[in-house]
Amino acid sequence: MANYFNTLPLREQLNQLGVCEFMSNDEFLDGVDALKGKKIVIVGCGAQGLNQGLNLRDSGLDVSYALRKEAIEEKRASWKNATDNNFNVGTYEELIPGADLVINLTPDKQHTSVVSAVMPLMKQGATLSYSHGFNIVEEGIQIRKDLTVIMVAPKSPGSEVRAEYLRGFGVPTLIAVHPENDPEGKGLEQAKAYCVGTGGHRAGVLRSSFVAEVKSDLMGEQTILCGLLQTGSILSFDKMLEKGIDAGYASKLVQYGVEVITEALKHGGVTGMMDRLSNPAKIKAFRISEELKTIMRPLFQKHQDDIMSGEFSRIMMEDWANGDANLLKWRAETGETAFEKTPAGDVKIGDQEYFDNYTLMAAFIKAGVELAFETMVEAGIKPESAYYESLHETPLIANTIARKKLFEMNRVISDTAEYGCYLFDQACKPLLADFMKTVDTDLVGKNFNEGKDGAVDNQELVEVNEALRSHPVELVGTVLRKAMTAMKAIKTA
Amino acid sequence: MSLVNIKDLSVCYGAKTVLHNISLVVNPGEGWVIRGESGSGKTTLGRTIAGSVRHSGDVTIHFNTQSPLPATTLFVESWYRFTNLEGDRNFYYQQRYNHQQRRDTVTIARELELFGKEHALNNVRLQELIATLDYTRVLDEQLFEISSGEHKKLQLIKALWLHPQLLIIDQPYTGLDVKSRGRLNELLNAYTGNGGTLILISNDTELPACVNRFAMLKDGRLSTDETAFRFEEKVLKPLPHFLKEPPQYTTQTLIHMKDIHVRYDDKQVLSNIQWQVNAGDRWLLQGHNGSGKSTLLSLITGDHPQAYANDIKLFGVQRGGGESIWDIKRRIGLISPELHWYFDANATVLQSLASGFFDSNGLYRQLRYMQKQQLDELLKFLDLYDVKNELLTTLPLGKQRLALLGRTIIKNPQLLVLDEPCQGLDQQQTQYFNKLVDEISRNGVTIIYVGHFETQLPACITHKLVLENGRSIENNRIATQSR
Repeated sequence: MANYFNTLPLREQLNQLGVCEFMSNDEFLDGVDALKGKKIVIVGCGAQGLNQGLNLRDSGLDVSYALRKEAIEEKRASWKNATDNNFNVGTYEELIPGADLVINLTPDKQHTSVVSAVMPLMKQGATLSYSHGFNIVEEGIQIRKDLTVIMVAPKSPGSEVRAEYLRGFGVPTLIAVHPENDPEGKGLEQAKAYCVGTGGHRAGVLRSSFVAEVKSDLMGEQTILCGLLQTGSILSFDKMLEKGIDAGYASKLVQYGVEVITEALKHGGVTGMMDRLSNPAKIKAFRISEELKTIMRPLFQKHQDDIMSGEFSRIMMEDWANGDANLLKWRAETGETAFEKTPAGDVKIGDQEYFDNYTLMAAFIKAGVELAFETMVEAGIKPESAYYESLHETPLIANTIARKKLFEMNRVISDTAEYGCYLFDQACKPLLADFMKTVDTDLVGKNFNEGKDGAVDNQELVEVNEALRSHPVELVGTVLRKAMTAMKAIKTA
Repeated sequence: MSLVNIKDLSVCYGAKTVLHNISLVVNPGEGWVIRGESGSGKTTLGRTIAGSVRHSGDVTIHFNTQSPLPATTLFVESWYRFTNLEGDRNFYYQQRYNHQQRRDTVTIARELELFGKEHALNNVRLQELIATLDYTRVLDEQLFEISSGEHKKLQLIKALWLHPQLLIIDQPYTGLDVKSRGRLNELLNAYTGNGGTLILISNDTELPACVNRFAMLKDGRLSTDETAFRFEEKVLKPLPHFLKEPPQYTTQTLIHMKDIHVRYDDKQVLSNIQWQVNAGDRWLLQGHNGSGKSTLLSLITGDHPQAYANDIKLFGVQRGGGESIWDIKRRIGLISPELHWYFDANATVLQSLASGFFDSNGLYRQLRYMQKQQLDELLKFLDLYDVKNELLTTLPLGKQRLALLGRTIIKNPQLLVLDEPCQGLDQQQTQYFNKLVDEISRNGVTIIYVGHFETQLPACITHKLVLENGRSIENNRIATQSR
């Protein structure tokens, strides 16, 4: 199988990278009609599979589950999930031939084997749905030409997909149709109907392409979302220990600080986050984030280049073939860091204290969000897609760090994200070694404003505020956040 | 020496004074009850004594240093929140019906074990409490699976197990059936007999014998004159116009259930239920805690996945025949303690009522002109207009309930499902609420009303279904005006 993206001429590469439209409500007026009465078979019954299926059935659609024979015979969790909720369950051979829509909700790594098993059984003219485009774009699997291939990807964990649906709302969702596999031109209508069936249409739908989704998703998760949050957390913790800050306090500040700080990001973008700092701290954070951007820009560019060229997926698939040797090694190392091994102390840290005593993290996040966004846009990804895969998702990942620190954060994200995260972290830490020597406890561990009189130069403050507010990620973010006004704080698990 | 000494206590929330210059002395071993209308400041007073409210004036507590009892005050909230294992509170009321191979919260047994460890408590005593309150049945269930009445018992068990020197309980009887209430009173008598000092916040009349002191709050002012305790009966305003319109029925039989069976693993929840509800029927559904009432209702409201495995026809359509749960919910107005418990904490009173148009938990859509008119009318009718922009959760419990009742009738549906709508309300509120239901029923709406055996009921009831251990033991028409 050849990397699909690399087989395309430049014109078509740019064309597909550029698919990006925030869909309006009236595009969903047909509801679930395009799937009404059709046989929907979901492959896999984990958190996404089960909860999406419950929603689709509650929307009046006909849903059953195809599981591997062993899963049924051994009555595994997936079998129990489906049967306990009164779904019809069968083997691939029993259910796939009758399916009008097959929804593949197995883990990324299994896609090639699952799709290879399922495809020959699918009937003429049926539809195959993915929730991530890696298999199509990077692994380059070829799907039978009579089949339609779509993607519907709710941007939240499965439990949230269900909870928000039953509240009468939904979660933001990305949809796409693979241009090589839309023989009847019905892909978009079916993707929209599927999206309505899970409630996604109420929370904001972005129409993308398989290519744009994969290239932006990989970039976001490797750099700002997981990679930099990990590097920043570890460096901050180590710095505090080096400077004699209490380990319990340092652990708590790092574990929960990232969530509190990115909560401000969620509501008001980078500007909103920086506005939580005092004026002198804001100016300082701005200056060091500029410095950080200069240091890290080549690394961000390298990640984007390797993603675009297919080099990243090539080496990751090598590691898959090698029994995940690197992944497991790096995972173990993450579990052994001092931060991971120091439990959060039993100290109270107020909301504002997280900003005042952890100015460094605000600078890291500003630098990472802006760099990821800029690098993606330079590579041909549209600003809206770049916004989703950088700023929008940062608070979601930060939540998982607050719940269970880095080791567990890495376990709950996809294998692909986890691999990319370690790759970035390995390269970024040495890159920042000299910078970290200049950092003292006023930036991390103690209140930045302590012993300062709070004075700033008017001119300088105006310049900094102007620079923050006019950054392109802020311009597109303001528009998108407004479009999602009804959107509520959605937590991740 | 007095245990609690309150002098010139005042509490303000913003510009609003909630408690005015209160002075009160509570002596060791006394049993107090504090009464007052919804919003009079009862809960605030309780919390202030427990030390969690900023106030002016003095509140001093002198614990007995010689006593073997823990020198501490425990305030049992009428309404408390728990979190899942990840520290989240993101629950929804249908969650307990979704069967998944995943455990989100801890079990009751584990919760109690942790509590006991934290306070170094004796297990023998716990077993007595569990037996007395008939609580063994739920020990293996998850926190989010149990009903609000069972949560109340959990709080009471913890409080009595801890046995602090001062115990304040806000609405001790909410959600408890008659038997449990009697048992609780015995336990409270034993508590004071053992040297504890008790303050109950309640308007209930069947109090334990140990209650010998009385106080009443009115608009934040305290009186200890027992004769001052008299509720004025609230007069019903004329119904809003839209609620006088008869509902639009599309079929004569709204609910048809045949041989209903529901089980979770090895636990049979409903067995062999046959039930038919016709347009205009007004049913009373009764049964003890755990008899299957909520599960039965969840099959009707589209909240239970087991509905797909049973023979149920709703509004003329077979379940699983391609209808969406939103088609079903559109025809039903629902209120239940669990819906209330897990309701959107960020919604204002107006948004909470308005969400009834869309059957959502919280408001996510724009309102049309007519809908806004209807909302204003209903808000005024329920005396909620002045607080319409306040968060629902900041209102006293009785008013929250009223707002959620408004949510059920805002779209003037065919079927009202009122699952213990008066749980947590005092007598006066319950009376008013039931009168309201009677008044609304005059337009011909179909009603399913769930109440405990002893609760006051609306007069309009025409039929009765009684469940016991998941089976129906009574299912018939009753003589009109039986109450």
